[in-house]
Amino acid sequence: MNRIAQGFTLVLLGVAALTSTVPTDLYLNWVKAGFGPFLIAAGIVMVGLGVLVIVAEVRGGGDVSDEEETTPVTAEASTSEQGDGHGHDHSRAPWVAWLLLLPVSAVFVVAPPALGSYTVESTSGSTGPPPRDEGGNSKFNDALSEAEPGETVQLDIQAFVMRAWIDEEREMADREIELTGFAVPNEEGEGWYLARLQMACCAADAVVNKVLITDRPAPEADSWWTVQGTWVEPEGDLYDVSEHEFAIEGMEEVTDPPDPYE
Amino acid sequence: MSERTTHDSAPSSSLGDSLADGWDDRGDELPPADWGRRPGARRTGTVWLFALIITAMAFGHAWLSDDLTGQAFLAWATIFTAISFQAMPFLVFGVALSAALVAFVPTSVYRRFIPSKASHAVPVAGASGALLPGCECASVPIAGSLIKRGVAPAAALTFLLAAPSINPIVMIATAVAFAGQPEMVLARFTASLLASVVIGWVWVRFGRTDWLRLPSQSHDPDASKWRVFRESMLHDIMHAGGYLVVGALAAATLNVMVPREWLLTVAEAPIVSVLVLAVLAILLSICSEADAFVAVSLTDFSPTAKLAFMVIGPIVDLKLIAMQAGVFGWRFVARFAPLSLAVGLISTFLIGALIL
Repeated sequence: MNRIAQGFTLVLLGVAALTSTVPTDLYLNWVKAGFGPFLIAAGIVMVGLGVLVIVAEVRGGGDVSDEEETTPVTAEASTSEQGDGHGHDHSRAPWVAWLLLLPVSAVFVVAPPALGSYTVESTSGSTGPPPRDEGGNSKFNDALSEAEPGETVQLDIQAFVMRAWIDEEREMADREIELTGFAVPNEEGEGWYLARLQMACCAADAVVNKVLITDRPAPEADSWWTVQGTWVEPEGDLYDVSEHEFAIEGMEEVTDPPDPYE
Repeated sequence: MSERTTHDSAPSSSLGDSLADGWDDRGDELPPADWGRRPGARRTGTVWLFALIITAMAFGHAWLSDDLTGQAFLAWATIFTAISFQAMPFLVFGVALSAALVAFVPTSVYRRFIPSKASHAVPVAGASGALLPGCECASVPIAGSLIKRGVAPAAALTFLLAAPSINPIVMIATAVAFAGQPEMVLARFTASLLASVVIGWVWVRFGRTDWLRLPSQSHDPDASKWRVFRESMLHDIMHAGGYLVVGALAAATLNVMVPREWLLTVAEAPIVSVLVLAVLAILLSICSEADAFVAVSLTDFSPTAKLAFMVIGPIVDLKLIAMQAGVFGWRFVARFAPLSLAVGLISTFLIGALIL
């Protein structure tokens, strides 16, 4: 890969990072919102560096290459190369650098959507999400602990599932709760799931949270809904529950889905 | 490329001229296939190639995007893009930091802070890993530049392992994920530091310099610092970035292809489960700043197994192996990765038995 190709690759990569953050919110499909500013900064740096390299090359490149002399590669080092024969010098990049165009074409051609019902169905079967170890179960820091009694509480599905699993006080019982997520058909039993993926950093570490709904017909997979209703309180030990059920009082479709992840 | 543009403006220059000129200019480079061709032609060719690529992507965007509906393919593409984009800022700024080390910090500074005796330098390098925030994508090029600056390879390698494992951001992320389990944070810190330092010492004792493809470059002392900075940054992004994409491809494929149910069936067996999570850490190649959240979600596994996931992940994984191969060469990786894995596992079992 010669220098001008490296410059173009960098510019394209930077443009991909900038297009998915500045004019669109595409990046929210892949990484957490907190990455936005860093992606913008990285995009600017890459575009800037790429343009510098291209300009220097088009204008002559001589002055750059003069200073890019490298010491001769020893014979030994050369034999350890992977056969593409590039010495470890500065002005050429290995073939593998061409792969940097893959994320670019992924963004512009595929524009990957957020993970959805496919991931929910294929990753966790019917076991539901694992509860997170939260030390004591008295320290819930969600909307429910602040809401007035009788008020409808908006909860993340993750917060709902956590409460349903480890809140021995069962504070959620008989409270009107509002959840937002996408529909996932239940392949193995009755009803359907309202699900949301929770990610720590990027889509690769997404964890599934879902609640089972049996009192309404299943909507189309991957359509987004806001539902109001109550937790179906299970009998016996909360920790043995494999699926958390939700009784619906009202549901409406969300036409403009929010950040797909929690 | 390193040809001079005088060739462009003087198309009448003979083959002999360009050969002689190129010889003066290019030092070791000598790609025989290029000889005698007018550089301007190839440069134009590259521009045309990219014009073609961009046009193809525009057509793909217009016609293909709506037809790509395969669920598994889209999930794969999402995870691939996610890993690439998540690592991109870390890569760019890690590379910028390492280029700044090369360009602006004189060698004498390293000599002063890092002991010249390798066996003493190793613990110092390990401890300094706890100070500099940066993920593994960033630490590979930084370690490369440390070696270039005359730091003992063993110490630079210890830094390479320690920095992503025990830096402040990772420790905070671990504490957040394992809220109420401070012993997990302590165990992670101890096990990772122990593993990094021991691997460094093993390298001091048994390592051979010729396994490392030492980045050979001697910058013209007259070159401006900014130019050195720019050039090392370009070089490192191209090398580490390309291999990062390889790692992202592999991790995305495994993430989509391997059902998690398989893993749960082995979670019961005590030693096997530790090994399984170590292998999973290698395959998934999750950034060390995020791996604690994944580890905590693997509730079926024992604490020691989760510790293995967090100790092994930052020191050996597919993405790292690919990136290290890009910077240091395959001869190095073939020895370093198994060593890291073995020492990391021993350290995990030891610390797991003591603390967890």
